[in-house]
Amino acid sequence: MDAFLSALAAFSDPYLIAVILIGTLGGVLVGAMPGLSSTMATALLLPFTLTMEPIPAISLLSALYCAGTFGGSITAILVNAPGAPPAAATAFDGYPLAQKGQAGMALGMAAVSSVIGGIFSVIVLIVAAPLLSRVAYNFGPPEYFALSLFGLSMLATISGESALKNLIGGAFGVLLATVGMDFTTGVDRFTFGYWELTEGIHFIPVMIGLFAGCEFLTQASKLKQGRVRAVLEAVKLPGWADFKRCFGTICRSCGIGAFIGLLPAEGGTVAAMIGYNEAKRWAKDKSQFGKGDLRGVAGPEAANNAATGAAMVPTLALGIPGSATTAIILGALLAHGLRPGPHLFIETPSLLYAIFLSMLIANFAFAAFGFAGAKLFARVTLIPIEFLWPAVFVLASIGAYAMDQSIMDVWIMVLAGLFGFVLKRYGFSAAPIIMGLILGELVENSLKQSLIIFDHEWFHFLERPIVVTFLVLTLTSMVWPLVTLFRTRRQERKAANAAQS
Amino acid sequence: MSSKPSVDRAASAARFPRDMVIGFCIVVLCAITYWVTLSIAEAPAAVAQNVQPATFPRLVISVIAILAVVLMAISFRKDSRPGKSVPAMVAMTGAMMLAFVISFEVLGFILTMVSFCFFMPVIWGERRWHAVIPFAVLFPGAIYALFALGLGVHFDAGILGF
Repeated sequence: MDAFLSALAAFSDPYLIAVILIGTLGGVLVGAMPGLSSTMATALLLPFTLTMEPIPAISLLSALYCAGTFGGSITAILVNAPGAPPAAATAFDGYPLAQKGQAGMALGMAAVSSVIGGIFSVIVLIVAAPLLSRVAYNFGPPEYFALSLFGLSMLATISGESALKNLIGGAFGVLLATVGMDFTTGVDRFTFGYWELTEGIHFIPVMIGLFAGCEFLTQASKLKQGRVRAVLEAVKLPGWADFKRCFGTICRSCGIGAFIGLLPAEGGTVAAMIGYNEAKRWAKDKSQFGKGDLRGVAGPEAANNAATGAAMVPTLALGIPGSATTAIILGALLAHGLRPGPHLFIETPSLLYAIFLSMLIANFAFAAFGFAGAKLFARVTLIPIEFLWPAVFVLASIGAYAMDQSIMDVWIMVLAGLFGFVLKRYGFSAAPIIMGLILGELVENSLKQSLIIFDHEWFHFLERPIVVTFLVLTLTSMVWPLVTLFRTRRQERKAANAAQS
Repeated sequence: MSSKPSVDRAASAARFPRDMVIGFCIVVLCAITYWVTLSIAEAPAAVAQNVQPATFPRLVISVIAILAVVLMAISFRKDSRPGKSVPAMVAMTGAMMLAFVISFEVLGFILTMVSFCFFMPVIWGERRWHAVIPFAVLFPGAIYALFALGLGVHFDAGILGF
């Protein structure tokens, strides 16, 4: 209770409220801008929060995370260009609604369902995170090793088609984490004589490069494509009858989003897709889906926002990121000298309450911004990319440099951007590499400590029930996408044979 | 007209599946990285406690190699369509990114930013000089004011002394 009151007292400071509102506004703006996701914005902003106190810094990033998830829906609805991947499903019905002159209706429903989803997720966070951390209090190195393996294996389920590539990306991130001095022995690894690499490759420049640098190159490849201009008719907000029609969909999507968010490595994009599919599956009249059904907006929006707070649960309670953006927030906690996990709940409970409260405020604030400024926000898509992206790249470089004021970090950022672009072309994504890089140290240290505890007898891992549970889950999440792939291919073959005969 | 699809199919059959080539490249990279781990110094047994500094990286490299082999194995029978070629503008932008870092050390922070903010929009086809020139001057100025003067970030001076 004392911690809650002390967190509440922190919110009497206008500076903190201003920081959250700026984060929310920034989140809505970057979310609305196609290509600029909240993940990239948090990555860009992270180095600049290092000079701040932990509470405002983490509150700022959390507010940006919540608002960015909603912001993507604005351009998805108005110009059929999802500002962020979680809003992709919103465009399926949001844009047809906008074309019918019901953009205000779609934006209003997106705002309402996002707020409900977001608040539900904060409640899940408040209830589940302390419970999970209490369980985690009994975890030793073997349990943490098994848990981090499980977290990495969940990368396989992000996308069924590129499950293996996600796992390879995650493992590559873990390998990157081994660069620098081995803390047990003091021996340098993969430093190639560069003293700057002795402390290892910091995840911040890599993260900025993989998201911002890579997107800079992607935008260069799209220069000749035409841009869609925003047209917004009179904003007519949804009424009580519309809300009643979507209520069941919103409730269902809240549950789906929260569950998906709780799983390590899963995030808003998966939740939104499932939320949309379930909204369609449960609807009695499916004929308007894809042509402009409000439930097709409410479903994915409630789901992707419900995943935000839920994704913070494994991040805060276990130190295992629930999504790409929470991986960056996890990085921010580490950069501020805070180790997520059960100790965080004992040592700095006021910080946790501050995160909960800031997410709650951000949810209400983005609804207000969303209603008031939808027309204005849609105009961010009109900023010429010939100016926008060079400016983003300069900011990314300064962000990488400012952390340690080292040119090596700018080199790492640029190389990560070039490398990320090549990887993207061949079906690899950035998030698994970041997760691997962040979890790498935990994986290595917990494995080493476990081996020392077990006197290098590997079979002792199997004597601990929690470890066995996580290992079984790890195996399942790695094998399941392969099973699904083989099953799909068999069905395709059968269908092809049937068509031939 | 009708012969074109069959030619495409023949070309596709003659080509290795894309994921197989990717998997092969990853295996080769793993072999090279494994070879690099051989140069990692060994620690005294008392310090290493049976886990040498190279052990964990080698374990991870092996995992990546195994996953790459699985990727190659499941890429069989997969349709192999040629990827879209990379536009020359991407290569040019990549070169500008590298030039930015190199000139960061040589020309210094301000000149690098001004040059980049001028040339990048021009390379991308922007010809509205009334917009390009203010952008190239005002944006770096604002960034400098925020970071160097506001946040106290130190930027090394370039050859021109600023």
